[in-house]
Amino acid sequence: MTLVILGMRSLLRNPYRSVLTSLGILIGVLSVVVLTGIAFGAKSLVLRSIQNLGPNLLVVIPGSVTDSGAQVGGGTETTLTADDARAIRRQCPDIWNASGALRTAAQVQSPHANWSTVILGAEPSYLPVRDWRLARGGFFGEEEERGMARVAVLGRIVATRLFGLEDPVGKFVQINHSPFRVIGILSSKGQSPMGMNQDDMVVVPLTTLQSQIMGVSYVGVILAAATSPDRVDAAKREIRGILRLRHHIPTGGRSDFEIQAMSDISKTANRISLILTVLLALIASISLIVGGVGILNIMLVSVRERTREIGIRMAIGARPRDILVQFLSEAAALSFFGALAGGVGGILFLDGIHLLVGWPTPIPWEGLFLTVAGATLLGTLFGLYPAWSASRLDPMEALRYE
Amino acid sequence: MVVRDGPGLSVRLEAVTKIYTVSGEELPALRGISLSIPAGESVAIVGSSGSGKSTLLHLMGLLDRPTSGAVFYDNRRVDTLSPSERAVLRNRSVGFVFQNFQLIPRTSAIENVELPLLYRRLPARERRERARDLLASVGMGDRERHTSSQLSGGQQQRVAIARAIAASPGLLLADEPTGNLDSRSAATILDLLLSLQSRFSTTLVLVTHDMEVARHAQTTFRVRDGLPEDPQ
Repeated sequence: MTLVILGMRSLLRNPYRSVLTSLGILIGVLSVVVLTGIAFGAKSLVLRSIQNLGPNLLVVIPGSVTDSGAQVGGGTETTLTADDARAIRRQCPDIWNASGALRTAAQVQSPHANWSTVILGAEPSYLPVRDWRLARGGFFGEEEERGMARVAVLGRIVATRLFGLEDPVGKFVQINHSPFRVIGILSSKGQSPMGMNQDDMVVVPLTTLQSQIMGVSYVGVILAAATSPDRVDAAKREIRGILRLRHHIPTGGRSDFEIQAMSDISKTANRISLILTVLLALIASISLIVGGVGILNIMLVSVRERTREIGIRMAIGARPRDILVQFLSEAAALSFFGALAGGVGGILFLDGIHLLVGWPTPIPWEGLFLTVAGATLLGTLFGLYPAWSASRLDPMEALRYE
Repeated sequence: MVVRDGPGLSVRLEAVTKIYTVSGEELPALRGISLSIPAGESVAIVGSSGSGKSTLLHLMGLLDRPTSGAVFYDNRRVDTLSPSERAVLRNRSVGFVFQNFQLIPRTSAIENVELPLLYRRLPARERRERARDLLASVGMGDRERHTSSQLSGGQQQRVAIARAIAASPGLLLADEPTGNLDSRSAATILDLLLSLQSRFSTTLVLVTHDMEVARHAQTTFRVRDGLPEDPQ
């Protein structure tokens, strides 16, 4: 113990150099902590937005996938209809509900303002499928859907842009110069995984959008909710079977639609972010190793510089082991305090990113402790050789060293 | 004041030789010296520079090992011990005083004196108290916190002597202890060494080229070209 203190005291005798030496380890730990923290944050961001869509959700899009996996004309073909959505809703035992949806961009006007946004045509089942709630008012039902009623449900952002603090429910907005009665306001949902803000949107009945605004009869997408997360795969098979039958696709022929399950996407996202985290940590570890080499270097210089001191200590009765422990504890202290400072710096850095950019940057505590411990061990290992060579010095030669 | 653990140590060298090999060439420093120093005696080893007198001292102090021959402490052979065992023996039985003082740089006087006690695993409080007493006994009680660069040569040598006797060794080895000092400091240091020797009946070996210094020792041993000049 006394020898360990001795090692630390000799570090304090050269504070400038000690700090500079630990700087390498400090930066190494800092970069490991910060990069894994950012990777964790990005992962939680992606997963949260996927979770937002619902883990049971299946998305059917028109278009096909080539053999190489590249999608051809995904989302632009017009092979899906509201009848497909109805068939999925009625005939798939593992589908709890489904809704066709179609979107376009349009100007929406209130008496006070006008706002360019997305108009989404959806069926009454859209809301439960998306597990979405209303903030105020109501949603349209079968009757409005059949009657192509001019009713609209506003997203949060649209409501604020057009009506400010007023309550829009019961008021009218103009979409393509036709008046729509506002019947409800959607609760806030935030960003979609594709980076679109889902609150900047107006929802109208699908039939109204198809016939009165766009003049088409297809749907852009069918959203379907499986009865439970573990029935997603079965539901996927059922949808495939029904749609191939309805679209008269022969056995072995290529489907003219594609089904994506949110759970698959989240699995992929998880895997990608894991690879990302490992990769970032690996790159950051390189700087950690550079820091270790810095300790090796300084310790070698230090042993050489203090050869006479080592000789004196040996003459006075320091055993080789005592010298080894002294220099090893110097290396350990250098790397431990460097790693500790790097860890604290990393936490502050991540907090700073969170405050400045608003990303979620969870502190990777487990990784943090592991990194600090690993860096200390690494630095000590790099100090082993210099300490060992110091302990092997011949006392007589060391004393004569100039 | 420090209490001696026991009487001085007797040292015996038997036909020791030391040959240094420098870039393939063999340079004999000692060609066969036998020497016996009884416990508690003071001996001056005298010779010109290059005569091998310092090498002799280093062999006695277990800092180095003879190429052939043997070293005995109180009739126990010690040159064949492991580096670690020799370190323990140096710590417990030998005190060194060097010509260039060999204090650890940037380290206070009291910490220097504490060092041998630290390697002896003495508790911190005891170390500190003992080192304080020792510094006071060599007249350096008011310079505890000074580092070597803040001390004169004579003062540094006094700290070095305090350090040499800190572990109450039976054998005190001084290699030209007055070589770097002015005549007044030299006289003080010599007096200090001799008074310690007589007070604790420590064995004192003094290496010098100065006959005036050697005169103070009880016996004188002359070395020339690695051989005894006038065998005892």
